[in-house]
Amino acid sequence: MSNATTNASAGAPARLEHTELPRKESNGPLRKQLFAWILLAPTVIGMGVFTVIPIIGSVVLAFFRWDIISAPEFVGFENFVSVVTNPTVRVSFLNTIVFVVIAVTLQLGIALVLAAMVAERLPNWLRVFFRSTFFFPLILSAASVSIFMGYLFNEQFGAVNWLLGLIGIAPVPWLTTPTGAAAVVIIVYVWQNFGFSFLLFVGGLGSIPKEIYEAAEIDGASGVKKFFNVTMPLLSPTTLVASVMAVISALQVFDQPYVLTRGGPGDSTRTAVMVIFESGFQQLEFGRASAIGLLLMILIMAVTYVQFRLSRRFVFYQ
Amino acid sequence: MTDHIGGATARTLTRRGALALGGLGLAGLAVGSWPRLTAQDIPGRGDDSMTIAILGTRADAEARQALVDAFRAEYPGIKVRIQPVQGTDWKDFFAKILTMVAAGDPPDVVYVATEGAQLFADKLAEPLDDYIRRDAAELQDYFDDVHPSLLEAFMYQGSLYQLPLDWNAANMYLNMSTLEEAGLSLPAADWTHDDFASVMRQMKSAQGSGFTPYYWTNRLFGGVVPWLYTNDTSFLTEEKAPGGDWFWDRFYPGDPARATRGGGYVWDGANATDERVFETFDFLRELVAEGLGVRPEGGGGESLVGLFANGRIGAAPAGGYWVQGLHEAGMAEDGFNVQFFPRNRTQRHQFGAAGYAIMSTARNKDAAWEWVKFCSRRESMELAFPTPNTTPTRRSMVNAAFYSETGPKNWQVFYDTLDKFPTSGPIPAPPAQAAVETALMKHVPNAVSGSSRQTRATLANLQSDLERVLRSEQ
Repeated sequence: MSNATTNASAGAPARLEHTELPRKESNGPLRKQLFAWILLAPTVIGMGVFTVIPIIGSVVLAFFRWDIISAPEFVGFENFVSVVTNPTVRVSFLNTIVFVVIAVTLQLGIALVLAAMVAERLPNWLRVFFRSTFFFPLILSAASVSIFMGYLFNEQFGAVNWLLGLIGIAPVPWLTTPTGAAAVVIIVYVWQNFGFSFLLFVGGLGSIPKEIYEAAEIDGASGVKKFFNVTMPLLSPTTLVASVMAVISALQVFDQPYVLTRGGPGDSTRTAVMVIFESGFQQLEFGRASAIGLLLMILIMAVTYVQFRLSRRFVFYQ
Repeated sequence: MTDHIGGATARTLTRRGALALGGLGLAGLAVGSWPRLTAQDIPGRGDDSMTIAILGTRADAEARQALVDAFRAEYPGIKVRIQPVQGTDWKDFFAKILTMVAAGDPPDVVYVATEGAQLFADKLAEPLDDYIRRDAAELQDYFDDVHPSLLEAFMYQGSLYQLPLDWNAANMYLNMSTLEEAGLSLPAADWTHDDFASVMRQMKSAQGSGFTPYYWTNRLFGGVVPWLYTNDTSFLTEEKAPGGDWFWDRFYPGDPARATRGGGYVWDGANATDERVFETFDFLRELVAEGLGVRPEGGGGESLVGLFANGRIGAAPAGGYWVQGLHEAGMAEDGFNVQFFPRNRTQRHQFGAAGYAIMSTARNKDAAWEWVKFCSRRESMELAFPTPNTTPTRRSMVNAAFYSETGPKNWQVFYDTLDKFPTSGPIPAPPAQAAVETALMKHVPNAVSGSSRQTRATLANLQSDLERVLRSEQ
């Protein structure tokens, strides 16, 4: 209880009420706003310095030729023309889109199936075990994982081919053929990232009321029917969040192809972010790198927009 | 509890107090962590220390401490800070140095390998010509001991930018156990490409599955380039810039190859569709198809030493830098040996070297030059290279004593590569090296797979990529 109220109810002098209450009314919101801004300031400053200003800088830089060392030179739309006509850039965007479609489908599919199995059929201690186990790869460095996986998938000396050899399968040229290299990049990426989607699905499954399942059972629904007619619709908000995050993350894939294949053989595993890195930090064409970055940003925004538009039809909110 | 203090209520006081405390806390935090926020707590940062960037880890920097201490004893007025910069390869290292330049915090001196020599000479480094002329007498001993081909690799447009301290040629390492199990001995120094294929074939038949006769990686050093050089060609055109006479006439007047020396290499044209380039790739394609060689992966071949030491690999291209690693992996002195690269039209070898470059932005170039000069002395190089994990550029240091504990028996091959094949050349690395290497690495796997037709088509694609890269550089 405020002092002003206490004093007023005790019949305290009116002077106090007259002098303090109006001032509090007029300054209160201002103070609250000030307080809020003080609390928000670190985040706002951080976002401004590390996100907004670099984005603006990148947009501006896309119209310049700059090699870090010499002064930037204005070139208009030259960088964009160069990017659009460059076959490597085109292939890298195509690779990225194909990668997103396959990797995200696998990531969400595996995560959903495992989450459903863990949520329904396992004792509690095993659930905890699997939650931790499936999430564990996500906290590892993608570069370290990729180096390790590179050894595993080595054609001559890797453990994967050794295991396949035990069942009579000839060595597979995993990292030196376009199909094999793309498969390894997808496998490694999905293995490392499905744990996050898995946790989202576990959370989503836990929020579905059991009564609905019970009602479905009374109506004679089988396990498969329950999954498709109860679980999937009620899990759709979680699926939307998981898919949006997975797509945005997959569109920015870099570590796995860079470490495992360096984009090869040929351009078969070169992705959009790899081309940004190569243009900027290896070829010293920061204007061109910014132009590619802008195109990627537009692609991410477009895909996310489409996902949210589609969600109006397919997402069911309780 | 006091409700009123100086006319203010306890509630407003508490909020103000909290704000004030928070403010004080933030101010205290800022003051306390100011050295960290501004990186002043990094040893040598903020004072007048000369910063020397090297590719490596903190351990690599610490390994140079004896050298730094020796320098400081002689030059107490020059503070030195070794700054290790980690990178997966030289290309990665150079990218990080450029980022430091862009951030306004460039090092004063950088240890630069052949891969970046022209990039630095073109954009970042200071020519050493005036210093070399001034201290010519003092440097005579160094030049007398170092092969001119190694110096020529650091000439750019008639000026010298680095004094190379270590180098490595792409020689051929052979696993003696697997060789002997195939009933073979070390091949002759003048073995040919056909001899090479025959040796690999015999090793493969003696070892069976799980064994790789020839292992190579997809990169500029030790990849396809040594094979191209021995076929008297390259994927880039190669010329010499005019100039450099001031240097050759002063320090190497008796060089048998004096007439061929110039002002540095010029690689400004694509040459991937040259018929000899096709021949070379086709030879490698056949090796791969026959199972004598692997399809090359990118990277530095980090796992190679262990696999070679375990007898899983029969032969691999490498330089003197492999010796210490093989020794530490448990290979006996007679467990491996080294031979020249097999000849084709020529036996020209590929080599890479490295030395300190003074940045044009260095705060005290004279001090930086004293460091460069100091490091070129024999006693300094002995401190820098105590074990054979590279080949010192001073011929006098490449001796039996240096390899006495490690092998190989044929250690003379390392320096003989330059003496016997004086046309041996550096890694083809124009200023746009990163883009050139990316283009080459991109096409090599496809060029050595499939049919001859695929090889030719891939080389045509390599040619267009190289032309685009080199055009944008001009």
